Amino acid sequence: MTTLWDTTGTAVVKALAAERRTGGGVTSGLALTLVVVVDEKDIGDVEAAIRTASAKHPMRVLVVIRRQIDTPIPRLDAEIEIGGRYGPGESVVLRMYGRLALHAESVTLPLLAPDAPVVAWFYTQTPELIAHDPLGVFADRRITNVIRDEDPIASMHQRATDYAPGDTDLTWTVITPWRAALASAFDTVYTRCTAVTVKGNPTDPSALLLAGWLSARLGIYVPVEHAPGKYISSVEAFFEDGHTITLRNDNYRLTLSRPNQMDSIAPFPNRTTGDVLAEELRRLDADQPYAQALGAVTGQHDLDERSPVRTHIWYDPAMATSEA
Amino acid sequence: MTETQTEPSAAGAPGPGTEAPTEAPVAPASTPKPDAPPGTPPALVGNPLRDPRDRRLPRVPEPCSFVLFGVGGDLSRKKLLPAFYDLMHRGLLPPDFVLIGFSRPDWPGGGDFEALLRNSCKASARTEWDDEVFARLARAITFVPGNFDNDADFDTLKRTLDEQNSSHGIKGNTAFYLSIPPALFPTVLQQMERTGLADEKAAGGWRRVVVEKPFGHDLPSALALNKLVDDVFGAGDVFRIDHYLGKETVQNLMALRFANQLFEPVWNANFVDHIQITMAEDVGIGGRAAFYDATGAARDVLQNHLLQLLALTAMEEPVEFTAEAIQIEKLKVLRAITIPSDLENYAVRGQYDQGWQAGERATAYLDEDGIKQGSTTETYAAVKLGIDTRRWAGVPFYIRTGKRLPKRVSEIAVLFKKAPHLPFSHTDTEELGRNQLVIRVQPDEGVTLKFGSKVPGSMMEVRDVSMDFLYGEAFTESSPEAYERLMLDVMLGDSTLFPRNAEVEASWRVIDPLEQFWATHPPQKYRSGEWGPTISDDMLARDGRAWRRP
Repeated sequence: MTTLWDTTGTAVVKALAAERRTGGGVTSGLALTLVVVVDEKDIGDVEAAIRTASAKHPMRVLVVIRRQIDTPIPRLDAEIEIGGRYGPGESVVLRMYGRLALHAESVTLPLLAPDAPVVAWFYTQTPELIAHDPLGVFADRRITNVIRDEDPIASMHQRATDYAPGDTDLTWTVITPWRAALASAFDTVYTRCTAVTVKGNPTDPSALLLAGWLSARLGIYVPVEHAPGKYISSVEAFFEDGHTITLRNDNYRLTLSRPNQMDSIAPFPNRTTGDVLAEELRRLDADQPYAQALGAVTGQHDLDERSPVRTHIWYDPAMATSEA
Repeated sequence: MTETQTEPSAAGAPGPGTEAPTEAPVAPASTPKPDAPPGTPPALVGNPLRDPRDRRLPRVPEPCSFVLFGVGGDLSRKKLLPAFYDLMHRGLLPPDFVLIGFSRPDWPGGGDFEALLRNSCKASARTEWDDEVFARLARAITFVPGNFDNDADFDTLKRTLDEQNSSHGIKGNTAFYLSIPPALFPTVLQQMERTGLADEKAAGGWRRVVVEKPFGHDLPSALALNKLVDDVFGAGDVFRIDHYLGKETVQNLMALRFANQLFEPVWNANFVDHIQITMAEDVGIGGRAAFYDATGAARDVLQNHLLQLLALTAMEEPVEFTAEAIQIEKLKVLRAITIPSDLENYAVRGQYDQGWQAGERATAYLDEDGIKQGSTTETYAAVKLGIDTRRWAGVPFYIRTGKRLPKRVSEIAVLFKKAPHLPFSHTDTEELGRNQLVIRVQPDEGVTLKFGSKVPGSMMEVRDVSMDFLYGEAFTESSPEAYERLMLDVMLGDSTLFPRNAEVEASWRVIDPLEQFWATHPPQKYRSGEWGPTISDDMLARDGRAWRRP
């Protein structure tokens, strides 16, 4: 590991090249660059998640930590490592102090792997508008996680307002096992679905997105009914011919019940943030089903017809505070 | 982000505190499923939750059952059962899935069936061990002990299958895997016919059968075998496994050729000098003496794996990426293969002698258990083939396979012609060879491109360098085992990666004349741990070429 104190972006680029040469690695093997925007307090969680994900995706990780924007003298500290705390890939942790934090792209742009897609992951907090953060503007894919925000529902609505193709949210990724189970349960029914109910926490963004996805696909209103639990506890579907399907989550097992038939029980993996991130990095293009589900939840139409390109909007938190 | 709460909650947003409206909140994303008349097959209706753009959802087969004949056998323990474990682990099996094992309960090591299943999954599965997954797999499996020639045992099997299918709500979809010696095929197929196991009409769903190589031992026997299986099941429902085709790199060969602009323009006789296809094994015949001595390298490997690889390398672009279109192109190539007129010099056989391999003493083929003295079965075969098409006229395809070679490796190497004119002096390019494109099938799956490059320094000196693409390095998921992919395709009814009848027959038309010639020409000995007999090297040297060292 190379640690550089009070350094410059150019020195970081050189140090990374030197580290790569001694490690014997080459750039051609990199599938993507992941830019993580995170606060110092969450760095441990991010490390663990990236360790899992980088075992599946050969990538370069740039961790951007913005500190003390009001410090008068800007400063950059960097740690460069290959095959260490962040898994087998290359990682650069960049701590930016003072006004440099507002120009983080000046450090990250030369560090992006050549011609590989760039994914931005907003871990601690999602900017109100992704266009406010140049790191999000340069990325081909943006990953947010509204569940970590103060008001997840409001934040989800804001994500729809701010949506551009290439955005996804981890609250959507976590319901893939539910969606896969529902889709295969629907494989054996041959009549129209008349009603579906999602039971769980009506203020959980994942429960809402699942309902939104079902409503977008089936063309019917899908409510989220309150049931004990923090998340989704069951889904019931009713069909024209009287057939019903119930999918229940009890303690990491997914039970599929149908009338006159044996229950089918499947293990429901307890996925870590790293597993979910790994699934997210498998897709580096726009996710239309997510756009539809998000649109159905928030009532905003044609999200996937928006332009995938954002233009940077200058935003200075210091000025925002002084105005307020 | 407080202002977002005043965001107008559009009609139908099922957010907190929103009145549930009676109408759909959004226009449906796709046309809703039309009302299907009763009895419409599921394929015609479509699942509204499936969207081709939704690539997060796995391709899961419809509910079905799988019957494994010979479940206690080698292949089943080492490959098939672990493949089902891996499929289950990856969530690729339908929620209603039944696996029935049928064989004599006399597998090596003894113990009950669950112990066999546990041991084989623990030893050979690709994904990590998970008790929950195993418990679910164990619940899905039923073992039926029995003999293939016993009517009562087959009746039990039939009854068990029907019971399991109805209790799991499976509408008659069943695949049968014949992991048994071909000699037993007539018995088993006859039993299946007697009990109506293969009858799709009676079952109300699809019935498919999977057979392993060898697909006969020459053209007449292959024709007889094909007829036997096709008569019971119907040609479209027979899946012939060539596990090489399930490998990721082999499928990548098509992506490489037909998805790129870079390679196809030079993929012809104008630019290609010759092609080498190698499948080398470092092991001997192991415990398969009886089978191997009757078969030999040419029938065991050349006829199926190598000719299939050759067909994929040489075929024209299929009009679409479907099973039928690809098979049509492969068949065209297989039928255009020519064998050399000078078989004496261009069809080589070898048999391994004693020697040293990887630091251990290796016995000669003739000293292996169960091989009779004086056996003339080959363990190495190499042949020069041609393809009579405009694309390949005059380009030799050298293909070779052997046992007890220095390492286990399979690859397809395309060697290009040398540049027609070199502006450099002769001494500058002494170390420059042919440009090569190598597709590594196993191990280290990937692609290598070899070309000349200047050696740094004040002199003009050109030397070969290679550019490597390694699957494990550039892709996100580890490649599934070939059997995983192929079992899944059988359940999905996708026959793209399975050779068809006609392909098997066309391959035998290539091999039969070689075998006839070899019948009167004993194989040449080669030391274990060497790259085959010297006459094989002479074969290429005669043409001014040399085998690439893989």
